[in-house]
Amino acid sequence: MAEYFAARGLPTPPELSANPLTRWRRLLVFAGAIAVVAIGLRITDIDLSHSNPDFAARVIVKLFQWDTSILTPQNEYETWWDTAEGLMVITIFLGVIATALAIIFALPLSFLGARNIMSGHPVTAVIYVLVRVLFTIIRSIDVLILVIITAILLGIGNAAGVIALAFHNIGVLGKLYSEAIEGIDPGPIEAITATGANRFQVIWTAVLPQLYNPYVSFTIYRLDANVRLAPILGLVGGGGIGLLLFQSINLLHYGAAGLIIFMIVVTVATMDFVSAQVRKKLI
Amino acid sequence: MPPILQLKDITKVYPSGTRALNGISLDIQRGEFIVLIGLSGSGKSTLLRCINRLIDPTSGTVIFDGIDVTRARGAELRRIRRRIGMIFQQFNLVRRASVFGNVLAGRLGSRPLWRTVFFRPTRDDLEAVFENLGRVGIVNKAYARADALSGGQQQRVGIARALMQEPDLMLADEPVASLDPATSHSVMKYLEELNKKDGITVICSLHFLSLARRYGTRVIALKDGMVAFDGKPAAIDERRFKEIYGEDAIEVEIGPERSEAQPMSATEAAMRAEAEDIEGGRRF
Repeated sequence: MAEYFAARGLPTPPELSANPLTRWRRLLVFAGAIAVVAIGLRITDIDLSHSNPDFAARVIVKLFQWDTSILTPQNEYETWWDTAEGLMVITIFLGVIATALAIIFALPLSFLGARNIMSGHPVTAVIYVLVRVLFTIIRSIDVLILVIITAILLGIGNAAGVIALAFHNIGVLGKLYSEAIEGIDPGPIEAITATGANRFQVIWTAVLPQLYNPYVSFTIYRLDANVRLAPILGLVGGGGIGLLLFQSINLLHYGAAGLIIFMIVVTVATMDFVSAQVRKKLI
Repeated sequence: MPPILQLKDITKVYPSGTRALNGISLDIQRGEFIVLIGLSGSGKSTLLRCINRLIDPTSGTVIFDGIDVTRARGAELRRIRRRIGMIFQQFNLVRRASVFGNVLAGRLGSRPLWRTVFFRPTRDDLEAVFENLGRVGIVNKAYARADALSGGQQQRVGIARALMQEPDLMLADEPVASLDPATSHSVMKYLEELNKKDGITVICSLHFLSLARRYGTRVIALKDGMVAFDGKPAAIDERRFKEIYGEDAIEVEIGPERSEAQPMSATEAAMRAEAEDIEGGRRF
C-alpha cells in the first residue's frame, strides 16, 4: 500500500502507514508489562497459603442461613427504625439527603466553574480557576476517608455519613454541572446579550433552558451512586445499615450479615434499574 | 442630519495575534441599507460585533446616534444595545424554548429583572410579540418549539425578536448563509421592508453579490480588515470584483426571486465555507 505513495514521492497517509508499534517494540512493551506484574507480586507478597478453605466454606454457608431476628425489634427499647429494614430506609435517605445538600452548593458554584461564563474578565477568570481547583481537591479525597474525619468531628452516626457524602458530591456534581454549562450552544447567549439584557437575564433566558436536561440526568446519576455508597459508609462510622453490618461481622453473626448484604444488593439493583429508566425517558 | 453610526479607525487584534480589522472608518446615514461583502475572514462578523460591543475593538471609536459606544459601560451599554437589533447566520434561538418565548426575549433589555425571573410579560409585550410574529408571517407557529421550525422560519423568529427592541439600527450577520436561495429572498425581503417602511437602518453581511445588488443601497467591501470598496452596488464591475475577492474568483449568482431552489455549485459552496476565527474574542 505504502509503495503507491512512495512511487509518487508522496508521504503515506497516517491511516495507511504501519502501526507505530513495530514487532520488536510490541515484544518489548509486552515484556515490560509482565515484569511490572511480577515485581508487583513480589512487593505485595500475596500469599494464599494461610487461607482455610474449610472455615471459609462454613462462613459462606452461614451467610445464607439468614438470621431474621434483625427484622423485628428485639427489646422494649428498640423501635422499627432499629430493625434492618428500618436502617435500610434510613440509609437510602442518607444518600438522598447527601445529594440534596450537594446540589445546594454545587448548583451556584457550577456557574463560577464554567469557563464560558467566567472568561470575560480577569477577576472572574481567576475565580473560575479557583473553583475548578476546589472541585478537583474535594473529589480527590475518597468518601471513606472523609467519613473517618467527619466521624471524629461529629461523632459516629448518620450526621458524619451525610456530611462526608455531601461534601464529596459537591466536587463531583460541581464538575459535572460546570461541564454541562461549558457544553451549551453559545449562539443564544450572544443573541440575548445583543438585546441589551444584563448578565443575569442572559443566564436565565439563554443558559438555563439548555441546562435542565443535563442537570436532571447528572443528578439522578449521582443519586444512584450515593444510595449505593451509603451502606458502606457505616463501616467507618457513617451510620445507617452499614454500622449494623459491621457490628454483625465483628460479632461473628454471619447469618445477620448475609441477610443485610442481600438487602443491600436488592436495594442497589432496584435503584440502578429505576434510575436507568428515568434517565432513558429524559434523553 | 448627522450620521446614525460613525466608525472611527476601528482596529481589532485577537489574542491569537490575528488582525481582523485594520483601521475601519465609516459614516452610515439614517435609512441606508448597507451590504457588507468580502471573503470569509475579511472581518465582516468582527466589524458587526464591534458596533454593539459583543466584541470589544482594540482601538478606535464607535459613535451611535451621538453616543460613544466604545466608552459605554454596564447599564449605559445595555441601553445602547437595546436600540440595535441583531440577527445571526445560525439564528441563535433558544432551541428548547417556544417561538413565543424567543420573541419575547427581545424585550429583556427594557424590562426589570423580576419579569424575566417569574416570566411575567406586560400586556404591551404580549401584543408586540403577536404583532411582530404577524409581520414575519408565522403567528401560527407561536406555540411551537423553536427547533421544530425550518431554517427560514427560525430566521424570521430572529427578525421578530430583534423587532421587539424597536431598534433604530439592525445588524444582520450573514442572515441567509444557512438558507436555500428561495428562502434567502423571503428573509431579505423582510429586512428590506423594515428598512423601507420603518426606516430602520440595516447593516447586513452577505456572501452573494447578486443579493447585494438587489437589496443594498450601498455596498461596503472588506478585504484583510480594510475597506476595499465603498459605493453604489452598480459600481462593482468585473475589475472591482476581482480586487475584492482575488484574481481567481468567479462570480456566482443566487437564483432570481420566486425561482425554485437551485443546487449549489462547488464554487458557491466554497465561498460559503466559514472559517472565521472569532471564537477567542466572543464574550458577553
